[in-house]
Amino acid sequence: MMRRRDRPLACVLAALFAALPISPALAAAPLSANDAAIWLQRMSDAARSVAYEGVFVVQHGSAMQTHSILNRPAGAAQAERESRIATMDGTQREVRCTQSGSVSRVTEGGQVRMEKRLNSRHFPDLLPPNAAALASWYGVRLGNLARVAGLECRQVEIVPKDAYRWGYVLCADKDSGLPLKAVMVNEAGTPLMQYAFAEIRIGSPSRVDAQSGWTMPELPAAMRPINAEAVNIRSLPPGFSRITAVKRTLPNKPGEVEHWVFSDGLTHISLFLEPATHPIETIRGQSKQGMINMVKRQVGPMQATILGDAPWAAIEAIAMGLEARGEPR
Amino acid sequence: MKTTVKSMTMQTQSEHEAARASEGRTEILSALIDGELSDDQARQAIKQIGHGDSDRASLAEYIAIGDAMRGLSAQHGDFTRRVMAALENEPVLLAPAPERKKSERRPVLWLAAATAAAITWGLWQSSPRDEAIAPLAAVQQPGMQNVEAMPYLAAHEDFAQAVISAPEMRFSKASLEVRQ
Repeated sequence: MMRRRDRPLACVLAALFAALPISPALAAAPLSANDAAIWLQRMSDAARSVAYEGVFVVQHGSAMQTHSILNRPAGAAQAERESRIATMDGTQREVRCTQSGSVSRVTEGGQVRMEKRLNSRHFPDLLPPNAAALASWYGVRLGNLARVAGLECRQVEIVPKDAYRWGYVLCADKDSGLPLKAVMVNEAGTPLMQYAFAEIRIGSPSRVDAQSGWTMPELPAAMRPINAEAVNIRSLPPGFSRITAVKRTLPNKPGEVEHWVFSDGLTHISLFLEPATHPIETIRGQSKQGMINMVKRQVGPMQATILGDAPWAAIEAIAMGLEARGEPR
Repeated sequence: MKTTVKSMTMQTQSEHEAARASEGRTEILSALIDGELSDDQARQAIKQIGHGDSDRASLAEYIAIGDAMRGLSAQHGDFTRRVMAALENEPVLLAPAPERKKSERRPVLWLAAATAAAITWGLWQSSPRDEAIAPLAAVQQPGMQNVEAMPYLAAHEDFAQAVISAPEMRFSKASLEVRQ
């Protein structure tokens, strides 16, 4: 199956985000938990199992970036799947994800820097492999048919059931279920971040290695396991669990830190722990549109930095739930 | 500089007290300037102003303060004179608004704020440029720089969905009340 709509990119870009803000009129009755799970799983599977090649745009506040993307599922159960994303404007950056891992390659000032990534999440592969489980924490509402990158798609609203996560409005390709557009929204429905394909070809990509100039290198692991934990977390927001806890170095920062990640499958919150070299003042940080929240505080002998693209309530709950091991309860 | 700031604060306080003492009159004047009085109320207020020299002076002062806040500080005398003249002849110019519930009215506290703003404005205009900037810089203590947060944001990006450059963050001091 080959479908293609060639349009001058500029025209498409101008029209891309014109349909916003998300109209509340699309709000239909929420699906049953069962149907919600089916829709979530369908969109999640499509992002991994469908072959596609295209160009998508990310908009966050006043920043906008264009990426080319290629997804090539191969082998039994997509075991040899490979996806590549490359920035088309700004700093030259490419991310490659295979079954064995994810590597980013940044070319800046004539220098090439390769880094191993801990995760391979990216648009349109936003939903977790077991997306059906999200139905416990998010409701799903089907909206109208819309048109993105020349293809008809169904609007699917993913509405958080509490204040600990942001919502999404996706537009899933009518035939394949692949998300062609994703908008992260706050509790008022205001877009925080938007992704949308400007051009997409669904089917087998024709030029498999056309943009390949490098092969995925064997990089030393960016992290190692934690042996003793200095900090304990008493409680987490509902639905969240710790999915990662490693020791690693941070880009442009000397020394090792512990990096923990909490997630409900869709929302991810990072906790960084490092020895406090001096008394740490509690600092709150927020990105301009409020999408990313952050807090830095001292926990016993450690400095804790909690941040994520999650509402303040979730960041705060995690920050408040931390205690030094051995501290009285 | 320190004493200047202190005396400014004291002056603001005394102005504030004065404003509270004559709250009733002030409120009417404020509502009149804002065009929040009904026809009848406006007519009555204007009649009273016409009889009282002190009210006239206050009104002129408030209009001047309003001008200063809107950045019309230079030569506001002329504008004030024109308003006062218009007031005498054509009260309708003030475009009285339909009567509103008291609770909908803006609190009269803005007058105190206006007074402070006007004083600050005056100080800044008369002080050298560098000094005028200093207090502003002192107020903005982020406690953390964007560059300091960048490594954490970049590391978190492994789990965020986008391959977008790290966003600009705003920082403020906070106090977490940790209940054990």
